[in-house]
Amino acid sequence: MTGSPTSTITIGVLALQGAFAEHITLLRQAADDLHRFQIVERDDWRSQSAHADGHADADGDAADANADSGDRRASGSHPIKINSSCASSSTKNGDVTLPLDSDFDSDFDFDLIEVRTPASLARCDGLIIPGGESTSISLIASRTGLLEPLREFVKVQRRPTWGTCAGLILLAESANKSKASGQELIGGLDVRVQRNYFGRQVESFEADLLLPALLGEEGDVFHTVFIRAPVVEAVLTPDSFVGDGDGEGEGEVPLAAPTTDDAVVVAPAKQATKAPVEILGRLPGRAKTIRDQTTNAADLGEDGDIVAVKQGNVFGTAFHPELTGDGRIHAWWLREVVKAVRERQMGP
Amino acid sequence: MPPPTPINDTGRLNSNVEPDRPSAFRSQSHRATNGTSEPPQAPAKKTTATMSSSDPQSSFAVKAGLAQMLKGGVIMDVVNAEQARLAEEAGACAVMALERVPADIRAQGGVARMSDPAMIQEIMRAVTIPVMAKARIGHLVECQILQAIGVDYIDESEVLTPADPTNHVDKSKFATPFVCGCRNLGEALRRISEGAAMIRTKGEAGTGDVVEAVRHMQTVNAEIARASSASDADLRQMARELECDYALLKECAKLKRLPVVNFAAGGIATPADAALMMQMGCDGVFVGSGIFKSGDAAKRAKAIVQATTHYNDPKVLAEVSIGLGEAMVGINCMSMDEGNKLQKRGW
Repeated sequence: MTGSPTSTITIGVLALQGAFAEHITLLRQAADDLHRFQIVERDDWRSQSAHADGHADADGDAADANADSGDRRASGSHPIKINSSCASSSTKNGDVTLPLDSDFDSDFDFDLIEVRTPASLARCDGLIIPGGESTSISLIASRTGLLEPLREFVKVQRRPTWGTCAGLILLAESANKSKASGQELIGGLDVRVQRNYFGRQVESFEADLLLPALLGEEGDVFHTVFIRAPVVEAVLTPDSFVGDGDGEGEGEVPLAAPTTDDAVVVAPAKQATKAPVEILGRLPGRAKTIRDQTTNAADLGEDGDIVAVKQGNVFGTAFHPELTGDGRIHAWWLREVVKAVRERQMGP
Repeated sequence: MPPPTPINDTGRLNSNVEPDRPSAFRSQSHRATNGTSEPPQAPAKKTTATMSSSDPQSSFAVKAGLAQMLKGGVIMDVVNAEQARLAEEAGACAVMALERVPADIRAQGGVARMSDPAMIQEIMRAVTIPVMAKARIGHLVECQILQAIGVDYIDESEVLTPADPTNHVDKSKFATPFVCGCRNLGEALRRISEGAAMIRTKGEAGTGDVVEAVRHMQTVNAEIARASSASDADLRQMARELECDYALLKECAKLKRLPVVNFAAGGIATPADAALMMQMGCDGVFVGSGIFKSGDAAKRAKAIVQATTHYNDPKVLAEVSIGLGEAMVGINCMSMDEGNKLQKRGW
């Protein structure tokens, strides 16, 4: 449990397997691009991150370059403090125009940590589950004794959690095309995802998407990277939980995965949420086949596949913002976390 | 040859920082390089946004991106569907499909070639994780075949008998991404300039002796450290010395790492070996003969996966190292005949 009413907000990135270092780099960048933060690194970070490949820079940015190789030399979690030092609303780098609001009136720190143990998860106010192999992450989480704490974090404590690609799969209540013996899910999003929806690696692609729900109506396109990506295949209503999406199932959440040819797996039930599933981004069906430069995904005018969803505290994207160098979605999510923390502190 | 350039970079946020050359590793790169790799085209506007300027399905970012998803994971050599399923159950982030593991190739001798596509396809059907397969160095038709059957990554590998005495495959021509071996920074950057989207240090495959993997990782680290502290003039000299592209070398110097994901390979046989390589700074590990040439393959495979995640937690490493049964017997690299070393293959 964190829950301390201090001004430090701890953001964890699940670091069992996959692109977790990329998320930490972009979280730091997102905060930095809002130009309201200063990176203040802890001494232990600096001393532990110095190593044979010559990292010895004294400036604060050095840790960015070394986020990947540096992280691994430190043990446990690696906090980076980002202090908000001013309440001004100035932004740099023109494209970032997130408005400030009352959530940001007071000072707070961000602590960015890698999460590999239940103890470090317990410190987190918000969590990102990165892209990677969902089967690997799930198995390692289970053997590390993290699966139940993760379900508790997402579905009982209802802390802000964001999954990208593999993370989206793990946060879905149901997934199909899983491996032969099934797969353990965390759950939290009342959706069914289809793994490897687009096919194998040669079917991976990039596409520019408009994401007005996240980036505002005036927001520039967001360049997305889909790698062996899943999509949200169905939003589950309370009586479609059996996983077949035909709406004929019982109203109860089944505890065991139904065995079908599609290898559907479901997450175990926890506290249900009344929050609706919001669809925040779609990929028009033909977008990935566009080869010319005059058409974009939005021009196709189809509904398209669901690639970004949110339900209460849980957010999922089928694509990889962590591979783009564009921190706008991270900035949006950080603000969601701040709001959630504020609400919790105001509390009942 | 020009280095590979990721297409249609999107880091538009940092238009005020100095222009720089593209990095496949955008989100990991140094703040100053991050997102500055925008091609000199007009920024996308809201209503006339463009898709990628070339084939969106074969961009370097997509190829290197899959490797980034494999980070922190273990890629296991498997020779049939049963082993592949066992690897997946153990938590492998990918499998390498091949007919004979390196230890057997070494023992049996003869010419080692690409595996039967039917056997690779059977493995692809058996598991949901990415499937890699090996082609001979320079054998572009084997690569074409592997691409045609849809493998997720091609390893142009020194473990097989080289097919071209002078050249490696021009990997930029393929939509399927490539991983290649290296013993040092020059070799790594030559492969990247040919289009490799992922690197592995070679080690000495099929020996179960980690010493060569350590040597190669040390060499790469030391050369990157040297490049990082070198002046521009020294870097040019170093590029000549390493026989690699200057711009790629400069990018390494700036990033203080390779510009693509780098796994360790060749001789990793125990959880401790895997953690050792991770502590040396690699992004993940390949385990070849080490698993299925040992006593309890399932248990060892799981242990190596846990060790790769918790590489910095000696308590976990101790737990997973207990009672693994017989490790592969192995061959001591130090007493090996130079001519028997697979790592010498490739140029």
